Amino acid sequence: MTQNIRIYDHEFILHASGAVFWKGKATLLISDVHLGKVSHFRKFGAAVPLKAIGANFELLDEVIAYFNPEKIIFLGDLFHAHLNTEWIYFEAWIAQIATEVILINGNHDVISPLKYEALGIEIHDELILDKCLLTHHPEPRQGYFNFCGHIHPAVKIQGSGKQSLRLPCFFKTQDQMILPAFGKFTGSYTLKRKKEDEVYALAEGMVIKI
Amino acid sequence: MTTDQLYKIAEDWFDQQNWKPFAFQRQTWKTFLQGKNGLLNAPTGSGKTYALWFPIILDYIKNHPDYKTTHKKGLKAIWITPLRALSHEIKQSAERVANDLGTGLSVGIRSGDTSTSERVKQKRNMPDLLITTPESLQLLLATKGYAKTFKNCSAIVVDEWHELLGTKRGVQTELGLSRLKSVCKKVRIWGISATIGNLDEARQVLLGPASPALDNSVMIKANTAKKITVKSIIPKKMETFPWRGHLGLHLLEKVIPILNNSKTTLLFTNTRSQCEIWFQKILEKHPEYAGEIAMHHGSINKETRQWVEQAIRNESLKAVVCTSSLDLGVDFAPVETVVQIGGTKGIARFIQRAGRSGHRPGKESVIYFLPTHALELVEASALQQAVKKKEVEDRIPYLNSFDVLVQYLTTLAVSDGFYPSIIHKEIKNTFCYQAITMEQWQWLLNFLVMGSQSLQTYDEFKKVEVEEDGRFKVNHRGIAMRHRFQIGTIVGDANLTVRYQKGGYIGTIEEYFISKLKTGDVFTFAGRNLEFIRIKQMQVHVRNSSKKSTKVPAWMGGRMSFSTQMSELLRNELYSAALPESQQSIEIKSLKTIFDKQREESIVPKPNEFLIETFETNDGHHHIFYPFEGRAVHEAMGSLLSYRISLLSPITFSLAFNDYGFELLSDQKLDIQEILDNNLFTTAYVFDDLQKSLNATEMAKRKFRDIAVISGLVFTGYPEKGIKMKHLQSSSQLFFDVFKDYEADNLLYQQAFTETFEHQLEEGRLRMALERIQKQKIVCKQCRQPTPFSFPLITDRLREKLSSEKLADRIKRMTAKLLKK
Repeated sequence: MTQNIRIYDHEFILHASGAVFWKGKATLLISDVHLGKVSHFRKFGAAVPLKAIGANFELLDEVIAYFNPEKIIFLGDLFHAHLNTEWIYFEAWIAQIATEVILINGNHDVISPLKYEALGIEIHDELILDKCLLTHHPEPRQGYFNFCGHIHPAVKIQGSGKQSLRLPCFFKTQDQMILPAFGKFTGSYTLKRKKEDEVYALAEGMVIKI
Repeated sequence: MTTDQLYKIAEDWFDQQNWKPFAFQRQTWKTFLQGKNGLLNAPTGSGKTYALWFPIILDYIKNHPDYKTTHKKGLKAIWITPLRALSHEIKQSAERVANDLGTGLSVGIRSGDTSTSERVKQKRNMPDLLITTPESLQLLLATKGYAKTFKNCSAIVVDEWHELLGTKRGVQTELGLSRLKSVCKKVRIWGISATIGNLDEARQVLLGPASPALDNSVMIKANTAKKITVKSIIPKKMETFPWRGHLGLHLLEKVIPILNNSKTTLLFTNTRSQCEIWFQKILEKHPEYAGEIAMHHGSINKETRQWVEQAIRNESLKAVVCTSSLDLGVDFAPVETVVQIGGTKGIARFIQRAGRSGHRPGKESVIYFLPTHALELVEASALQQAVKKKEVEDRIPYLNSFDVLVQYLTTLAVSDGFYPSIIHKEIKNTFCYQAITMEQWQWLLNFLVMGSQSLQTYDEFKKVEVEEDGRFKVNHRGIAMRHRFQIGTIVGDANLTVRYQKGGYIGTIEEYFISKLKTGDVFTFAGRNLEFIRIKQMQVHVRNSSKKSTKVPAWMGGRMSFSTQMSELLRNELYSAALPESQQSIEIKSLKTIFDKQREESIVPKPNEFLIETFETNDGHHHIFYPFEGRAVHEAMGSLLSYRISLLSPITFSLAFNDYGFELLSDQKLDIQEILDNNLFTTAYVFDDLQKSLNATEMAKRKFRDIAVISGLVFTGYPEKGIKMKHLQSSSQLFFDVFKDYEADNLLYQQAFTETFEHQLEEGRLRMALERIQKQKIVCKQCRQPTPFSFPLITDRLREKLSSEKLADRIKRMTAKLLKK
């Protein structure tokens, strides 16, 4: 269900949901949840199943229960669009977790910061923790290791007998880790890997190094 | 005016042209004037336009004796055509008659090409005869006050009905007709169809099964039997002729004398990319043709297409390389010869294309068949038989297409709103929805209003609202606008406009192709070499390039399957390989070296034999089965068999299919004896197993693409307006996955499976094929290398997947292999 990796002597655990747990800091990194996307589509006449709304929160609860973090940092695109009724579910969800929550702004995050502040959520454009640079867009910076999202990375692998698979993944280069999209109703984008890149695919509840 | 006087008007007009009406034309006039509906079975270019346009005018004259002095305004007749390219031709014929008879009737076109200003004008003042497409008709139904516009319409003609039947645009037409039947009180409905296997059913679908309209209808057949000569182009040296391929360029030089010997030749290709390549290559090898040959396909802009059509008519072209865009309508008298490059997968289509030549009554049609690979010569031989026996296939109409119904109901809600009880009655009378249950109907209404089956708190779903008096109505402008836009995109794939950077429209291209290009890449399109600059606002910007290009846009079209009849003819031709040469057709004779090669390690099966070949290559273990039943049956059988095998032990397959057989490719070797011992070809539990195999493959997921677009789940943006609506974009795949996880009983999701089942896999035919195999002797050949028969299959890159292995195990094995490299 998980994979452990080390970056700068810190221990990180990659979870099959697409979350990363920073063990030393008891902090959970989650990217691209796109809450409100289902409702947004519904508001515009496209009937995405209602049950898909609950799924994101269930998954969040599951990861929290597994790691029991002190802090959650969302790496952007927490909400897909403008305020809609999913905010109500979000408020209720925030109210019942004991964890500190921080949001790094993403391109989709257009909801007023005041609304987040009212829920006690801090907002930043980026965050630096022990030489780790947390951003939404990938942003390589000299001397830092960059955790980011935005891309919704996936990897394509091929095998004998003309088999091929395409799976969402954690995509790690020398000094960057792109997280997969955590949200249920989100797509993904296939990245080409170079030799030195490390790719961890999400497959049926497992994290598999490729 | 008496009926005889009316006929006289028509007969006189024919006299003036030095023509004589055909019996079928007279018969159509008569029955139309008697107030009957009907289906006219007549090929293109036989004068079918005059068969139906005349009685429409005569009827007007009858009811308006002072027609020469006073003109009664308003729409009188609708002419629906599947291809907008045909509308100008129809307009010209119609106008000619209307003017010659001094009726003052006006003719107008309403299609995707109609300008906005023209539309506004039409809204104020409809032409007397409106020529339109199924999509544009839907759009008219999405206009406020449509009932008033159509009120006095007395006739609807659906041209080329065979092309619409068996498609969702056909269903769209059925629905439009069901509404118009109620709105126009005294309307006659007529269809015109080329010959297909199920003409009677075609009439039922058009008029509604068990409807009063059907009771009051006739079938008229034009007996314009035409002699068709089919000639195969046979390669001189079979040894060097390819075993696979689909372009046919090897035989290019054989085409040149044909072009030289005929006034005008049409070269039909199966895909637009093939069309582009042939055009380029002919010019490259024979520059002397520059200016004398042209190209015609659906992605080229309207002006160029019309120019080409005109040039064919005034005989200024030696040859035109084209696709199905020239299949229909448009009478091209100067065309003397037709060349078909590669198989058409359908006899009706082949005959229709042949009919594009020798268009004048009494002349024979000549068609050359140019094989693109060796085995296609067997197909050529079978086609000869088929044309002789006129074994045309059926067009299977859709049933319960919920996606089209969702679209239609939204259409009605967008214009004037609808009352469910009225519309339910109307659609129950259509062929497509004759068996819709009350539960399904209610489900659809809930889906439109609530976006689910029960009301949820906090849900902001918005589409159709129910007003106080029970009327279903769309009140939100944005929803109405998006819906109107989406109606035109029933055919699916996202198309981008190709333009020069400084403006200048070249054509449209599928997004799928462009997405693979990088800035600076050169590709061939519309006969030009273009350099890709960028995509901006759904437009592809290009500039001319002198660089050679290797990239030709690939279109997905043309993956059709042989019919039962054609498959049987094909098998018989193949079996004739065992006969003495004197009893073989010229095509089969010419294949001798290929058959010999095939026999080196395997066999050419006889009627009582079922051939299975196995061999190993770098790709893995190939297992090839040859039922010779047509692609559809092979897809079904391949899925079924691989599913059954995957139950024996965890295994992953990659599957390929063609009209001759199917391949199961795996990284593991199969024990064929085990398959036979387990009786995996049995007809028991076929239905269940096939259904389960559908879950294991991605066929239904692919089918769902169209469903999601048509039903309005996936919004494709406004390419024309350059607005991409990114925040509303999603893929149908994503929808498919969330339905699978959270709403598997969704009717639109379910439809993807039923459609695959009924329209793609053809379970009935599968059963018959399995029964035939049960009686055959199974011949299993272990070969050291690929055989000629297997070659087209193993090199096919469009594949289906099926696996019963754990994902983790597969990844581990795949990565292990990567490491070895």
